[in-house]
Amino acid sequence: MKAWKIGLILAVLAVFAGVPWYGSDVLIQFGINALLLAVLAQGWNIIGGYTGYASFGNSVFFGLGGYGVGIAMVQWHLPFAVGMAFGVVLAVVFAVLLGIPVLRLKGHYFAIATLALSQVMTAIVSNVGIAGQNIGLVLPPLNNDPLFYELSLGLLSIATLTIWGLTRSRFGFGLIAIRENEEGAAVMGVNTTLYKVMAFALSGIFSALAGGIHAYWITFLDPASAFDISLNVKMIIMAVFGGPGTVLGPIVGALSLSAISEFLSSEVTSIAGLFFGLVIVVAVVLMPRGLADMLRRMRKLGWGYFIENIRAHRL
Amino acid sequence: MDLLAQILVNGVLQGGLYAVMALGLALVWGVLNIVNLAHGAFIMLGGYASWYLYTDLHIDPFLGLPLTAVVMFAIGYGIQRGLLNLVIRAPMFNTLLITFGLEVVLTYLAQMVFSADFRTINPSYAGNSFTLGPLVVPVARLVAFAVAIFLTVSMWLFLLHTRLGRAIRATAQNLVAARLYGVEPRHLYAMTFGLGIALAGMAGTLYGTVSQINPYIGATLTAKSFAISIIGGLENPLGVLVGGLFLGIVESLTTLYIGQTYADVASFGILVLVLIVRPGGLLGKTT
Repeated sequence: MKAWKIGLILAVLAVFAGVPWYGSDVLIQFGINALLLAVLAQGWNIIGGYTGYASFGNSVFFGLGGYGVGIAMVQWHLPFAVGMAFGVVLAVVFAVLLGIPVLRLKGHYFAIATLALSQVMTAIVSNVGIAGQNIGLVLPPLNNDPLFYELSLGLLSIATLTIWGLTRSRFGFGLIAIRENEEGAAVMGVNTTLYKVMAFALSGIFSALAGGIHAYWITFLDPASAFDISLNVKMIIMAVFGGPGTVLGPIVGALSLSAISEFLSSEVTSIAGLFFGLVIVVAVVLMPRGLADMLRRMRKLGWGYFIENIRAHRL
Repeated sequence: MDLLAQILVNGVLQGGLYAVMALGLALVWGVLNIVNLAHGAFIMLGGYASWYLYTDLHIDPFLGLPLTAVVMFAIGYGIQRGLLNLVIRAPMFNTLLITFGLEVVLTYLAQMVFSADFRTINPSYAGNSFTLGPLVVPVARLVAFAVAIFLTVSMWLFLLHTRLGRAIRATAQNLVAARLYGVEPRHLYAMTFGLGIALAGMAGTLYGTVSQINPYIGATLTAKSFAISIIGGLENPLGVLVGGLFLGIVESLTTLYIGQTYADVASFGILVLVLIVRPGGLLGKTT
């Protein structure tokens, strides 16, 4: 990596890290939400973008992370950090136990089996006493938005660094090989089951950490919001909008879509959702490989890029 | 014992309705290889169409079914021809996303146009029921069930015995070969999607007569339709019917013996199990 690139990344990071000093409270709160969504999109990127397994169930990890923190802090009176670790353990156990059977499925079938996970978890957790059943848990409040902001930013940086490391490691190449041709990868000596479960668990760890931070920040947790199904679709759209299977794409997608949706809901409240849907539809038609690909190839092709995309995928 | 029998009757009646809901999804999925995440939203639209037909024009929901079907068919044909055909060869992920986008658009449009109020299609006979020995059978549910069976069987006969039905099945099996035999895929895909949406619309009518509709019912109905399509397989409407009945009965039994909150867990638990044991569906071909 060239020196100017590292410099640029550090400069951007500094601008982001400085937000609590020069930004308004509203901007900080928007930032926490957007950064945590970006972490989720990055987590999804590992299993969906690099391994090619479109998980629609990653919000389960988000919920487990939240409940890890909630149960540890409320029921056991342990510090936040222990709660985060507990959430990670829950996520890893879940990823391994469920990943082994479910990761055998391919394509649509995997997507749908995982789609059911968050619904199942909502119903199960609603009946677990230690998790406060369907009433939920109220966490001790910590009124320190700048801290949560920096925590989220730190987590996003770690997730991104991990993915960057993946792209140049044996493990990462194995995952890409699975995405491109799973049987081929197996023939070349990739232990596909192990790799897939590890990728699922890794993506779960980041989602759980994001869930833990979110729960402590919001200070309230109930099954419906912890295992929010729409969160699954949100993180996927953000990753795909930015460019799945790229290091920075999901971040760009998450931040730009969060900004668009924030802008829409403040300017045109009632039709914000409508516009959001339209943005997705138009984006899939015109830039099916995400912003990252568009930025790379628009320079050469100009407007022809969009026509090229339609021509490539239409019937 | 009477309670169990009553629960089974409720489950079967509900299951017939579930089958029609899933029929369109399974058809589109099997032929076009699109998992239409907006399917539930189209069911919702069909419900509203019938509600307006009944409330403003006083057309009985069951008699108005053909009208709803035609309107929904036109919408479906247009969407496939103008939009989905553009991305049909993109990775599977993109078709999932675009139909999700459609779902969002339709839900918000419905919220703006129809408002978020709950609506029920309430013909004069809606509250009637008759007793059959110890069992109580609600008339509206029974009629909805009969229509559901009729639609499923007609769909089966249509796919087997008509020219268009054969073309659709041929395309599902092998697009290139079907093309060689003179199938025009752009038109045929749009016809298939239109049919799927028409079925969704009619399912919406039936749903509206037995339960409440609001703009947000779509996502849950899509999820249920998924589960049924997978249990029943994608090849045969009769398989979907069995899948629907199965889900209806399982849900009623779970509600009775384990509790309301577990009804969804049961159906999705079964879904995941079926996927793992037989990825082609309980009744589908083994791969």
